[in-house]
Amino acid sequence: MERDNHQEGVAEGVKICDPPAESNPPADTLATSLSLLGNHMFPDPVERNYGTTVNREEPVDSLLSDVSAEEPSLNAESHSNQVTKLETEETESPECQNNVATQPSDRGAQDAATDSDQGDSGEFVVTMLAKAKLEEQGLGMKGRSSPLLEAGTEEYPAFMSHRDEDVTADSWRQHRKHVFVLSEAGKPIYSRYGSEEALSSTMGVMMALVSFVQSGDNIIRSVYSEENTVVFLQKGPLVLVCVSSSRQSERQLRGELLYVYYQIISMLTQASISRIFEHKKNYDLRRLLAGSEKILDGLLNLVDSDPSFLLAAVHCLPLASSLRDSLSQILQKAITPNLVFSILIARNQLLTIVQEKTVIEDTRLEPADVHLLLNLIGASSAFQAGEIWTPICLPLFNPDCYFYAYISYLDPPECTVCLLLLSTDKEAFYSVAECKRKIEEAMVAQNSLSLIAKVQSYSVSQVGVSDLRHFMYKPFDVPDNYRQLTQFTSPEMEAPYSSEEEKMRLLDLYRYMHSRIHSTSRPLKLIYHVAERETLLAWVTSKFELYTCFSPLVTKACAITAITKLLRWIKKEEDRLFIRYPPKYSTTPNPSKSSRGGKSDQQDSTDNGFLSLL
Amino acid sequence: MPEVSKMKKPDVKVVLLGDMNVGKTSLLHRYTERKFKDTISTVGGAFFLKQWGPYNISIWDTAGREQFHGLGSMYCRGAAAVILTYDVTNWQSLAELEERFLSLTDTANHDCIYAVVGNKADLTDPNAQLYQDSNVAPEDQTECEEERPEPQVLSACPTPPASPASLSGSVLHKQVAPEDAVAFYGRILRYKGLDEKSSLPAEKMCFETSAKTGYNVDTLFEALFDLVLPSILRKRNENQESPTVDLEECRGASNKRARSSCC
Repeated sequence: MERDNHQEGVAEGVKICDPPAESNPPADTLATSLSLLGNHMFPDPVERNYGTTVNREEPVDSLLSDVSAEEPSLNAESHSNQVTKLETEETESPECQNNVATQPSDRGAQDAATDSDQGDSGEFVVTMLAKAKLEEQGLGMKGRSSPLLEAGTEEYPAFMSHRDEDVTADSWRQHRKHVFVLSEAGKPIYSRYGSEEALSSTMGVMMALVSFVQSGDNIIRSVYSEENTVVFLQKGPLVLVCVSSSRQSERQLRGELLYVYYQIISMLTQASISRIFEHKKNYDLRRLLAGSEKILDGLLNLVDSDPSFLLAAVHCLPLASSLRDSLSQILQKAITPNLVFSILIARNQLLTIVQEKTVIEDTRLEPADVHLLLNLIGASSAFQAGEIWTPICLPLFNPDCYFYAYISYLDPPECTVCLLLLSTDKEAFYSVAECKRKIEEAMVAQNSLSLIAKVQSYSVSQVGVSDLRHFMYKPFDVPDNYRQLTQFTSPEMEAPYSSEEEKMRLLDLYRYMHSRIHSTSRPLKLIYHVAERETLLAWVTSKFELYTCFSPLVTKACAITAITKLLRWIKKEEDRLFIRYPPKYSTTPNPSKSSRGGKSDQQDSTDNGFLSLL
Repeated sequence: MPEVSKMKKPDVKVVLLGDMNVGKTSLLHRYTERKFKDTISTVGGAFFLKQWGPYNISIWDTAGREQFHGLGSMYCRGAAAVILTYDVTNWQSLAELEERFLSLTDTANHDCIYAVVGNKADLTDPNAQLYQDSNVAPEDQTECEEERPEPQVLSACPTPPASPASLSGSVLHKQVAPEDAVAFYGRILRYKGLDEKSSLPAEKMCFETSAKTGYNVDTLFEALFDLVLPSILRKRNENQESPTVDLEECRGASNKRARSSCC
C-alpha cells in the first residue's frame, strides 16, 4: 500500500517540484526595487496576473534543471529567492482581499497581506518603501536610537546575562534571531536579547511602522532586507516582531512568533490580557510577566533547536509497547475528581499521556499546548525538589481558562522523569499530590523507573539503510489515529551531526525543505535537494510527511529505495515509536454536565487575581 | 516504599509570602540545601516536606509575581505559620506585603503565627555579609566544605557576577529599618484582631536574614518551628481523641467547593 502511494507520489513530485520559472520580467524588476518591502502593497493587476500564471509556467528544461536549481546552498541564495518570496506573498493576497472587505478590523485578518485602496496604492508603496528603509536603519542602528543613558541607569536582575547585553554593540545586532513583544501602545514587553527598557525607542519605531500601515487600513506583515527578514504578528493588543537572519520562510517565522504569543497566553490567558488592555491601554504587561522571561527565552531556544515546533508534532520517547501500556495503566488508576490529563515525561519527551474520557471525546490535546507544557517544565527545572502547583492555560484548548498543573519529578535528584497532572480544580493540590504518591508507589512496585532509565532514543543505523543519516517522520491524521496527538519520530542526531553547529545546519536544511514543501504559492509533494554536504529528500503524502537526509552521493533512485525500506521499518516499529492508543479515564462526576473539561473552570479565569489589577 | 507516603503526611503548614525577587526560594533553599544558588522565578507555588525531628513540616514556597496572586489563599489555607518576606534594600517590597499579601492570610489558621523577614541583609549589613554559615554548625562536615568557598569568593573577589551590590563593592542603602518591620508586625496583629500582649512579641517575630551568606536563616526557621510545635502537638492530640480530622478535612473541602461555585 505504501508502495503504490510512493510511486504515485514520485510521479506527482516530478511534475510539481520543478524549479521556479525564473520570474516574469515585470515582477522581476519589481522584486528588485521592492526587495526591502514585502510586496504586500502591490498594485492589483500585476498581482492577479502573476499569481495565476506562476504555477503553470515551466520551462521545457525544467526537469533537467531540477537538481541544479536546488543546489545553491542556503547562504548563497539571493535574488532568485527574493522572487520566490514574492510569489508566496502574492498568491496569498487575492484571497485575503475578501477578508479585508468583510472584516477589516478583524484580528484574524493579520494573516492577510492586504491591499485596500488601489487608487493610492502606488503612492503608498513609495511612502512605505521610504518607511521600510527608515526602519532598516532603525534596526541597524538601534544603539544610536536607544540611549546608553537608559541602559546605564537600568537596574538589571542580577543573573540574567543576556538581559544585560549592550544593545549598541555589534554582537547584539548579529544575533541570528531577535524576538520582540510590545503592546499596541508601543510599550516594550519582551526582548530576547538586551533589556526592554534599553530597546524602548526601537520598539517605538516598530509600533510606528505597524500603526502607520494600519492607518491605511492595511496590515504590515514583513519587511525584507538583504540580511534580515522582519516579520510582524499582531494578536489582540500585542504586537510580536521577529528580526531574523536565519533564512527561514516568513511563514515559519510567523509560526514561531505565534508560539511566543501562546506562551504568554499560557501564563496570563487571552481573556485577561484583553481585559487588562481594555481598561488601560498603556498597561505595562511586564508587571505580570516579570520573572517569565526565562520561560520565553527557553521557548525560543527550543524553537531553534527542536524540530517538534517546525513540524507541529510531539516527539515521544520510543518505548516497548508493554512498558508504555503499564505506565499508562498506572496513570489510569491514579485519579481524582476533575483530573483531566496525566502526562509522563522523560528528558523532555513524552512517555505516555492519559486523558479524561469526556475531554478526549470532544477535543484533543494540541501539539502546541504540549510544547508549551514541556517548555514550562524545562524552564522551571532549575528548582526541582518540590512539588509545583500552578495555574496554566492551554491556549489551543481554551485560551481563556486556566488549568491547574501539578508538576513533580519522580526520580530526585536526577530529575529526568517528570509527572504532570492537570486538574480543573484549583484547590485540588492535595488530592492530586495523592495521585502522585499512588503513581510513585506503583512505579516502584513495577520497577518502572529503572526501566525508563534504560530507554534510549534510537540510532538511524537500526533502520539498516546504509546511506540514510537522519530522518523525521510525521504520520498524519487518518481514520486510524484520528483524534490522536500528532506525533513525529526521529532518530538521534549522530555524526556528522553531533556538534551543535552541525545539528543546527541540518535543522536549517530541514527548515528549508519544509518551507519549500509548504510554500503557499507552490506547495510541493516531493523535493530532492542536493546540498553541499548531504542530499535531502522530503516527501509529503496524504498519510505522512517525511524528511530524510542522506550521504551526499546518493542518487535519487537510491534515496527512493531507501525511503521504501525506511517506511517499512517504521511500520514495523510503530507501536514502539508512537503512542498508539491514548488511554482514557473518567473523573468527571457528572459527565453530562461538563462535556468539556476546560469549560468547567470558566469562572476561575475571573478568579485569578486579575480583577485586583483593574 | 509505602512507608514513604505514610511518613510524608504533613503535620503542620508553613507558607512563604512576599513580593517577587525578595528571595523566598533562596531562603528556603539555603535552609534545606544549605546552599545559595541562582534560582529562577517561582511558578505558582512549590510544595516541600521537611522532616523536623519526629514532625513533618510542609512548606509552601509561593511565587511573588502578581500573575499567581489568585492561588495565594489556597496556599495559605490552614497554615500554622506565615513568613512574610521583604527585601531590606527595597521599601516597596515591605509595602507590598501590606497591600497584597496580608489579605491572602485570611485563610490561615486562626492561631497562625506571623514572621516578618527582611532578606538580603548581606547587602546592607557587614555582619551579615561576613557571616559564615559553617559557624552555625550544619550537621554534615562535607556540606561545610561546600559552603566555604562562597564567602571566600566574596571576600577575595569583590565582583561575583551574581550580585549587583558586591559589584560596586559598597554596601547598598538600606531602605527598610528593623523598626519599620516591627511597626508592620504591629499592624498585622491589628489586622488579625489579635491582642498585642497575648501575642508573640515583635522582637521575636521580626528577622533580618541573608539567604546568600546564611545569616539568621537557620535561626528563623528553627525559631518558627519551635513556635508552631504546640500547634503540631494539639493537632496530634485531636487526632488521637477522635477521628474527626478527616471529617474536618471533608468539611473544609466542601466549603471550598461551595465558595467557588457561588462566585
